[in-house]
Amino acid sequence: MKELFSKDKWKFAFYTVSHPADGFYEIRHRERGSVPIAIFLVILFSLSFSINRMSASFIVNDIDPRNVNALTELIAVLILYLLVCVGNWSITCLMEGEGRLKDIAIAIGYAMIPIIVCFTIGTIFSQFVAQNEGAFYWMIIGVGIAYGLMMMLIGIMQVHNYTLGKTLITIFLTFVAMFIIIFIVLLLSDLINQVYQFFYSIYQELIFRA
Amino acid sequence: MKKQNLFKKIAASLLMTAVLCTGFGETAFAEEIPYDTYNYNYREDIVYTPAAYVPEGSVTGLSVGTTDFKEPRDLCVAPDGLIYVADTGNNRIVVLNETMTDTVRVIDGFDRNGTADTFNQPYGVCVSENMELYIADSMNKRIVVLTPEGEFIKIIDNPQSEILEDGFDFTPLKVTVDYADRVYVVAKNTFEGIMVFESSGDFTGYFGTIEVKITLWEKFWRKIASKEERSNQLLYIPTEFTGIDVDSGGFIYASNIDADGIQAVRRLNPQGKDVIQKGENGNVGGDIRTAIYGKYGGPSEIIDVVYREKGIYSLLDRKRGRIFTYDKEGNLLYVFGGLGSQEGTFTTPVAIEYIGDQIIVLDAYYGAILKFTATEYGKLINEAVGLRYDGDETEAIDKWEEVLRLDENNELANTGIGKAYLTAGENRLAMRYLKLGMNRKYYSIAWKRYRNEILAANLSYILSGIILLIIVWNIYKRWKRKKKGITKEGGLL
Repeated sequence: MKELFSKDKWKFAFYTVSHPADGFYEIRHRERGSVPIAIFLVILFSLSFSINRMSASFIVNDIDPRNVNALTELIAVLILYLLVCVGNWSITCLMEGEGRLKDIAIAIGYAMIPIIVCFTIGTIFSQFVAQNEGAFYWMIIGVGIAYGLMMMLIGIMQVHNYTLGKTLITIFLTFVAMFIIIFIVLLLSDLINQVYQFFYSIYQELIFRA
Repeated sequence: MKKQNLFKKIAASLLMTAVLCTGFGETAFAEEIPYDTYNYNYREDIVYTPAAYVPEGSVTGLSVGTTDFKEPRDLCVAPDGLIYVADTGNNRIVVLNETMTDTVRVIDGFDRNGTADTFNQPYGVCVSENMELYIADSMNKRIVVLTPEGEFIKIIDNPQSEILEDGFDFTPLKVTVDYADRVYVVAKNTFEGIMVFESSGDFTGYFGTIEVKITLWEKFWRKIASKEERSNQLLYIPTEFTGIDVDSGGFIYASNIDADGIQAVRRLNPQGKDVIQKGENGNVGGDIRTAIYGKYGGPSEIIDVVYREKGIYSLLDRKRGRIFTYDKEGNLLYVFGGLGSQEGTFTTPVAIEYIGDQIIVLDAYYGAILKFTATEYGKLINEAVGLRYDGDETEAIDKWEEVLRLDENNELANTGIGKAYLTAGENRLAMRYLKLGMNRKYYSIAWKRYRNEILAANLSYILSGIILLIIVWNIYKRWKRKKKGITKEGGLL
């Protein structure tokens, strides 16, 4: 555990931000990445997202703070993260992707760094802006998200050793896979529920007859 | 020991609040009013407010010393204070005195240059500023103009124009007259807008046509539909106007039933262009949150409009029997009223008028005029909005503070106070109130001024702080270089 959170691994995470192509290549082939750090970054992203929604200045923020629930948002983000990783992994396995589940998780997790930074800076910056300066705030947020998405794209490309076109196709298929997973999970839970209900009614019948 | 004291204090204060809260609950006589008074806040949630208007009895034909009204359709308050009721089913106009306690006269016919003439289903009535009585005599297909005493002046009928199709059936329903004696008529089955007549009685054209909205989706379906299918589809015709009123500046307020519930009233300038101001949420169509299905679901159906004063106007909804009051900027001030059989509720509200602090509503089924009187809360809002209309925002602040005392979360009151503080230069306070009032634009202005204030006050500290930081940074660099043993390299300074 200590090794996975080592200073070297942290430094490399930031190296990946400035050198995405090289960074993700080394993560895949030289074990420079760390899954716990990636998960930690995803949690941080969820937090920065909730904080931004909750306490960005009134001038740029139209969200009702009563509707923000950091815990449900955290759970939703983590589930989505799991879904994207598994979806991408299941597709790339079939499409000659070289990446392991671990690499995909790291690629997506590390891509959160610019988003976290920009959301945090944006939240602080928003406290100082007036309405006509709000464009700068949105620029900060936009740059963060754009950079994060770009890192995600490069990450998946490098990890699987794909061309850009193939990456885009797999990303599209990843979404399809995610929907299939959701569908199957819902189906399964419904079936299990029915089985449970069946046994429960038998149990009730027995209780009432006895 | 000290801790226990604290607990006691907290418990005592909690108990005190509880007692106070229940006490206040009892002083409000909400249970006696057969409807809720509410408003929509910035998030478009329903917020219940103290009653703005309370029922104050009703007036029937019997109670004013004549026979009962039969399906009355329109009301008009004349400049001299008399109330004219179009008693449609009885083919007569009943004139009531200012207090609606007695009948002044009944007009059931007139002497037209020697021949006696009567009305047939007089649907609308209006008294102009020059004290001329205009009656939309619907089944006789004409507008009858009389003196208030019932003497014949003129008749407007049979409009002639190229834009009217042959055999045009002129059935006037509602009528209003502006300061120049131009006559505005809502006629049956005229989807082109309001018909305008000059004082001479010549038809000049349509006015304020409601444009038909066709969505891209509907256009797409019409494109791929066959000819027979298209002929079976509903025609896309604009909605008709339901009620009209005129303000002192000659602007026409016209209500219509909007299927989207977004804009149910138009303020038409003399060219017939809609110049209404919509509030923050862009809605002047009555209820925002409604049930989707059912008898009482769907958007409000606005049946009449009354321009009151200082830019305030009220809309009457026949679907849920509610009265919506807006100010000039399109902010919803208060909503009250409801359907039912209790006193103070309607079955088929058809017309609305106002007399000073009273709002009167005509119910066709009951054949009664229902009176509503402004409470302290309603009066305060009316006065504060009126002061703002006149430009006395600083004077309005006292009224708004009173409103806040009765209704803490009133966003208009908070905004009003905030704006007043902003003008007074109290930026910090202005920010507080404007945020409570959810007014982003003015909050931003207040914040900008406050920020400049802080910057100006602390400029010396900020500048010296920056200089200090640069010096410290350079010293640190030099120290680090010395440690590493490098001596020759330029620094920041």
